[in-house]
Order: sequence, then structure tokens, then C-alpha cells
Amino acid sequence: MKIPHKKELIELQKRYRTDKRIGEALGGVPAYLVAYWRRKKKIGRYNYPKYSEEQIKELWERLGDDAKAGRELGIRSHAFRRWRKRYKLKEKPVQLKLEQLKLELDINFNLLRKSMRYTIAQNLLASRAGKKKVEVGEIVEVEPDLAMSHDNAGLVIKQFRQIGVEKVWNNKKIVIPLDHRAPAESEKTAIAHKSIREFVREQEIRNFYDIREGVCHQVVVEKAHLLPGQLAVGTDSHTTSYGCIGAVSTGIGATEMAVVWATGRIWLLVPETIKITIDGKLPKGVYAKDVILNLAKRLTVEGANYKAIEFYGSTVKEMSISERFTLSNLSMEMGAKFAVVPFDETAQTYLVGRTNKNYEPVFAGEEAEYVQEVELRVERMVPQVACPDNVDNVKNVAEVTRVRIDQVVLGSCTNGRLDDLEIAAKILKGRKVHLDVRMLVIPASRSIYLQAMEKGFLRDFIEAGCVVLNPGCGPCLGAHQGILAPGERCLATTNRNFKGRMGSPEAEVYLGSPATAAASAIRGRITDPREFL
Amino acid sequence: MLKKIKGRVWKLGNNIDTDIIYPGKYLPIIEAKEMALHALEGYDKDFPKKIKKGDVIVAGANFGCGSSREQAATSLKHAGIACIVAKSFSRIFFRNAINQGLALVISKEAHRLVKEGEEVTIDFAKGKLSTQKGETDFPPLPEMVMGILDDGGLIAHTRKRLGIAKADSKQ
Repeated sequence: MKIPHKKELIELQKRYRTDKRIGEALGGVPAYLVAYWRRKKKIGRYNYPKYSEEQIKELWERLGDDAKAGRELGIRSHAFRRWRKRYKLKEKPVQLKLEQLKLELDINFNLLRKSMRYTIAQNLLASRAGKKKVEVGEIVEVEPDLAMSHDNAGLVIKQFRQIGVEKVWNNKKIVIPLDHRAPAESEKTAIAHKSIREFVREQEIRNFYDIREGVCHQVVVEKAHLLPGQLAVGTDSHTTSYGCIGAVSTGIGATEMAVVWATGRIWLLVPETIKITIDGKLPKGVYAKDVILNLAKRLTVEGANYKAIEFYGSTVKEMSISERFTLSNLSMEMGAKFAVVPFDETAQTYLVGRTNKNYEPVFAGEEAEYVQEVELRVERMVPQVACPDNVDNVKNVAEVTRVRIDQVVLGSCTNGRLDDLEIAAKILKGRKVHLDVRMLVIPASRSIYLQAMEKGFLRDFIEAGCVVLNPGCGPCLGAHQGILAPGERCLATTNRNFKGRMGSPEAEVYLGSPATAAASAIRGRITDPREFL
Repeated sequence: MLKKIKGRVWKLGNNIDTDIIYPGKYLPIIEAKEMALHALEGYDKDFPKKIKKGDVIVAGANFGCGSSREQAATSLKHAGIACIVAKSFSRIFFRNAINQGLALVISKEAHRLVKEGEEVTIDFAKGKLSTQKGETDFPPLPEMVMGILDDGGLIAHTRKRLGIAKADSKQ
């Protein structure tokens, strides 16, 4: 056989790197013979290493860990270490060491929670109660991270005064937005609002939002007063909404809140948890509101009473914070105590720029025990509507298209956010609200109001013949701004349709998505929004 | 300690919500006596007038569902309702009632046994509810919850825990 020239041998080495492989390429020449030729021609052993010094150095500086860097190259950690030693890379950069420590902590945390059999509610209440674990049915006493009250703070203040404590336990943890009757619709409310403003000044409660800011729950989430893995109580049943960012929160009464203000403590029963998995892509014209109404129909209005809900599945994963808000908000209508969408990148992204505080999300263990597991596929779902007088009296919109309506309400903590307004504005643009219908639009917050203005949605609404109101609860709870007369019917994007909820007990309220609301406003009767999409 | 209650029965159905018990338009009221004038007004406009002190409500499932407004519980308590018996209570109403010192009984059987207008006896010590048709047992409430009830509500209970004297209770 012909012995290769020096140039040829260098070319081969470039291509095959090792003596052994060069030999194989030449048709079974043993490695020692190739090595002999090489030495004769004064060619070094590893002129063309598999991994260049720059490559190894870059990996080492970026990852600072043999195992991880090795994994990137597809080799084992000891192999990477050999490469590293060859290029004389020994010391880890200091910065990296710190990050490494944090990473390891994360890994340990993950391992820990994998081995646990507890739900989010259990894990959170255990940590707040300073215990390793808590079991379902146990009563724990905890300190909440946030205590929210709205206009009913007036009643809370009255009860607080009765306890006989001078100062609130923590004026930084109390948030009070005025939204239910904003601006005051009666002298009684005006007096209550005044007493709240005085109390807030006296106690130096900074997180007070006067009537200008919007619906309390929207304000809390928007301004990041509560963070993932934290616990909140609020004197409003829809406090469960904060589950949308992975927080745990629930509603309480005014007297209970007065005691929280005074002592910073509240007793809570560790609840059972229902796991709800929602999968599939939402069809056209079907939204988070339709999904949760459909769930209410299945689980009924007391299906989750005393229980916590955790949401999982591909549909939920795809949902924005606003859509998740709708889920957590309406879960209360099934009686839920907490309704949590576990923290993920969507929540993380939402909080960027809203907070610079650290937070520790809480998750469920992989072997967590659920009292019930519900699975829902949404590909074939159609628009839903809750008929009077209960939120679980849910039908397909197509079944009730004969129902004539007098009023449409678009807004509330359930569906008054920018995406909701956008959906409705797109349908209403260039069309007109039916002459027999009064359509009220209530952005959920000042910031949403502003954005809707900038994007031109408000113009679309006003041109179509809607009445745009100030941010707040509007007529949702029958306080003001659109009370129903006996015999009138309303389609609302709000959260309750109880008898008498929006005014007269002889009036009727139907609940649907913003798209259904807009479509129905145009036709003057309940209408499937897909006709306009 | 809460022992025995004897009272005339008002029989109600399932899902009696907070808008039926205490309509939203009355929320700005903060005086309990005034709240009492509107108790269960959504159910029957004249209900507040018909209630006599010591009456008992026997209802179906999910009593008090909906809003967190504690006026629902406060108005019933101050209208004279001594105790509410239901198959189940909504979570927030349950807490609110206890916090107002309004006694609650969870009983699956009671609703089937009682007739509207009859007199029932509720014995808390024995956990027994007696009607003309028969008797039924009900489970006791958790000890700490009973503690709040016995003190006459959460405000009094908290004052006791904090060691604030009774003398300055009314401001």
C-alpha cells in the first residue's frame, strides 16, 4: 500500500482526527502504523481536536459545570473535565458560583416537591402556618399577605372600632379600592366613602384607590399587590380571582376582615382540592367565559363548595392572565374557596415591570391527592349562556336565541379587560346597537380605559350606540348605573344572575361572553357571536 | 354554652342566595337593626315583618351562596332568627353567620322531616333535632367554631382573646 504524503496525512487528520480513525479510513491500517508515519513526518498528535479551546471555554464560562456543559456536547462530565484540563480551565468565575448555588437550590426544591403528595392549598397553608405539612380538614391560623376591602370597608371600619384596637396590624398589607358604588350613588354611600377616606388617612394606609381606579380585583392584580405563592383575603366573594397569577385567595365577611385588620390572623380550614384539566384549542367564538360556564353547568353551583380548584391542561397553558382571571373569578360561582392556575411563564411575563419584589410560587406535588378530577375537551364547545336564576343553568346560546333583551352589560371583574373590549369592539365596529337595547360598556380599570381609548375601541363603542361608563362594578350587583325594571331582560358579561341581582326581582339576567354580548346587542335578542366572526 | 333552641320553622328550598336574603341595593346600610328590616326580602317582600324572635329557618342545600356580604347573616340574626338548619351552607355565609353569633346546624334529614310553621327543638349538647315527624342527629361543629358562637360572635371572641375588658365594648 502507498504511504500517504505529509499533506495528505494532514488532510486526513483534519477529517478523522485520531490515528485510529485515519487507519480505518485507509482500509484497516492499525493505529500504531499511522502514528509511526505521523512521527516520521513530524506531525503532532491532536492538531485538529474535536472541540476547540474557544468552544470549551465558552461552555465552561457560561455553565460552569462539567455535567451540564458535557450534556450540551453529548459527552459525559468526566470527558468534559478532561477537555477542560487540556485547555487549562480550572477556576469557576465568581459570578457563576453564585448562580450555581441558586440553581442547585431550585433543583433541590423541585426534588422536594416531586416527592410530596400535597396540593397547592395544602403546601401554601402549611408554609404560612409554619408547619411541614397540613392535612385536609385541619384548621390552621395564618397571616395573610394581603387584606383587600372595597366600599364595604365602611362596615369593616365600624366592626374594627368595636374590637378596641387602635392601629391596624399592618397598613402596608391593606388595599382598599372604591368600586362598587363609584362615584357615590346615595348619601349613605357618600358617608361611607367619607369614613373610609378618613380612616385611610388616620391609619396611613397607602394602598387606597379612590373611585378613579377601577374594579378592586383588577386593581390588585394589575398593580401586583399580590404575588404568586402568596395568600390573600378580601371582603368580596370574587377574591378567588387572584388565582390567575398563581396566588391563593378567598372571600370573607366584614367582621372577619375587621379581626384581620386588628390581629393579622385568620383561621382557615385546609380544603379538599378539585383538579380540572382543560385540553384542546378553543374554537372560533368560544372563550374562557364559555369554558367556565360549561364547567359550572357540570359541577353545579355547589360543586366546589369549601373546596379549592387547580386548573391544568393545554387550553389553560395557552390562556392569557386575563382569560385565567375569568376562570378563577367564576370558580367562586361553584362555591370554590381558592381557584388557582399554577404559576408559569405567562404569569412571570405578566409580572415583569409590575413588581421588582421576589416571590416564591407554590406548586402541587406530583402525587397530590385530589377529591375529584374533571377533564374537559374544548374543541367542539359552542358559545354558552347562563340562564336565570342560577349560574349553573347553562345552555348553548343556540337554544335561547329567541330571548329578546333590553340591556347588555359589557364589563366587570369577570370580563371587563382589554381583550374583552377588543373582541366586542371588533364585532360592533361599523354596526349599530339595536334600537330597543341599551348597551353599557364598563372598562374594569383606569389603565384598561386608557388603552381602550388609545386603540380606538371606545370610539367603536360610542359610534355603535353604546354608553361607556367609568371603571367600576357598574350595575353588576344592582347598586346603580343600569338597574333593571320588572319584566326586563339583560345579557351581561358579569358573574351572577340571581333573582334581583341587577335590580327588580322580576327582571332576568343572562350571562355570556363579550362576543355573545356584542352580537346580542346588535340583534336585540340573544345571538350566537359566530354569526359575526 | 349554646344548649337548646325551640322555634317556629320557616321552610326554604335549595340555593337561597345572598341576593335573595339581602338585595344589593341595601348594602350601604351599616346599622344592624336597619338591615333586619330587609332580611329575605328577595324571597318574600313581607318576610321581615312575619319573622318572630326565636324562629328557625330550615333550608335545602347551599344556603347563602353568592356574595360575601355579611349583611345576609346579620340581617337574619337581628330579624330574630335563632338558628338556620340546612343541608349545606355556602362557605362564606357559614363563616359570616358564626362570626355574627348566629347558630347553624348542618343536617341532611331535617328538611325532609319538618313542616312549615311547626315548632322544632334543637338540642346542641346532644346534637339532636326533634320535629313532630321524628328526630334526627346532626354532627357538632368544630370546637373552635363553637367557641366563637359561645362568645356571641367573632368580635366578642377576639376581644376575649386579646384580653380587652368588656366595659369599653360600646363606643
